[in-house]
Amino acid sequence: MAWDKETELRLRQVIKDSGVALLAENLVQGTWGNTAVRLDEDHMLVTPTGLDYIALAPEDMPVVQISDPSVWSDGKKPTSERKIHAAIMQARPEINATIHSHPIYCSILASARIELPVMSDEMQKLVGGSCRVGAYGLPGTKKLKNGTVEAMQGRNACFMANHGVFCAGKDMDEAFEIIRIMEKSCYQYIQECTLKATGQSTYSDELLFDYFVAQKSAKK
Amino acid sequence: MNSSVQTILEYAKRLVAEGVVGESDMLSMRSELNDMYITKAGVKLAELKEDDIVKMNIFTAESEYKYHAQIYNERSDINAICECYPKWVMPVAKAGVTIPAILDDMAQIVGPTCKTAEDNIHSIIKTLKGRNSCLVKDKGCITSGRTMDEAYTCVLVLDKASHCFVSSSVIGKNMIINGFEARLMRFIYKTKYSKKNQENLSAKEEGDNNQQTSDKEASEV
Repeated sequence: MAWDKETELRLRQVIKDSGVALLAENLVQGTWGNTAVRLDEDHMLVTPTGLDYIALAPEDMPVVQISDPSVWSDGKKPTSERKIHAAIMQARPEINATIHSHPIYCSILASARIELPVMSDEMQKLVGGSCRVGAYGLPGTKKLKNGTVEAMQGRNACFMANHGVFCAGKDMDEAFEIIRIMEKSCYQYIQECTLKATGQSTYSDELLFDYFVAQKSAKK
Repeated sequence: MNSSVQTILEYAKRLVAEGVVGESDMLSMRSELNDMYITKAGVKLAELKEDDIVKMNIFTAESEYKYHAQIYNERSDINAICECYPKWVMPVAKAGVTIPAILDDMAQIVGPTCKTAEDNIHSIIKTLKGRNSCLVKDKGCITSGRTMDEAYTCVLVLDKASHCFVSSSVIGKNMIINGFEARLMRFIYKTKYSKKNQENLSAKEEGDNNQQTSDKEASEV
């Protein structure tokens, strides 16, 4: 182990707080997201599988080996998505914190497999360019993991096709800034597309409803 | 308080908190083979009280409760029903179309597709065949499960899938998960994760209703 106890205790709290913050900011539904933070070159702390973030204690977070994520210790059973977190940590030494979640606006672009163009200077700065879509793969498969790693090249976020979003930062605070700007940018993109499609100047959900119903009715 | 009444009150609160209810939502649970507890017609879930949940026989239920009664009668595998009017489901129900498998969680929890039934019990029963959820034309959705948690989770996932489906009309076409993979996910979810979770949940719903683990957590993707 190449980290001291004090660092580990601090990072355990960081992981615990990240789960609570995802919930508080409406960036996750239930426990359906997961986060990881690097301890050293070959170890990371991750959130456990399927447990309530609020009820979790810092000591519940398992330590997972990055080079072989099937190896873990010191906590509850780690998230089944740990292979993706490990693959990103391994491919990108500058990354120390990762978030995988399914916030609604990111999920919309992920479900349509649309590459999100740069929507603002802030997005350019945090994400590093457009947000690509990784190749579709069933949860837990090598195809999904490899697709995510490829789509993340030179970027700090990518969509996972028909699934959600993956974000990576130099620390957890930056990873949060990235997921926040991703959700904000996706919402902005959907609003702009709605206005373009309808020719209106002010967005409302009702405008989108009416456009959808009219389109589907026209096809019948 | 009866455990079914307690469960209905708890999940009504959760549905309201998640913002996936409308004006005329109704929840019910099978209590014994031919009896159900159901929320009174016309009572908003946000204002639901213990006295608003009534027990009735599924063969003698009054007309406004017939949809629930008939589903319990036809489907012995169903023990809980949510009849809800979530915001994003409404335009899809109005258009009367089928939501394809556009998200992994939808394929797992709702199924590879979710169809719209006509607003009559024959069409609803037919559309629900082999499934646990459907939309109802010009209305909302009916979701069901072996437990209330399963039916509740379906409402959340269906509203999210509907939101994606509606939005895709302006951002591009839907990219649909391959049918084999969608069915495989559903199969794995139902057998590997759901069974174990159902056992835990059934036990919990019999007892206290606090801090139930959502069915969604089971697949955790």
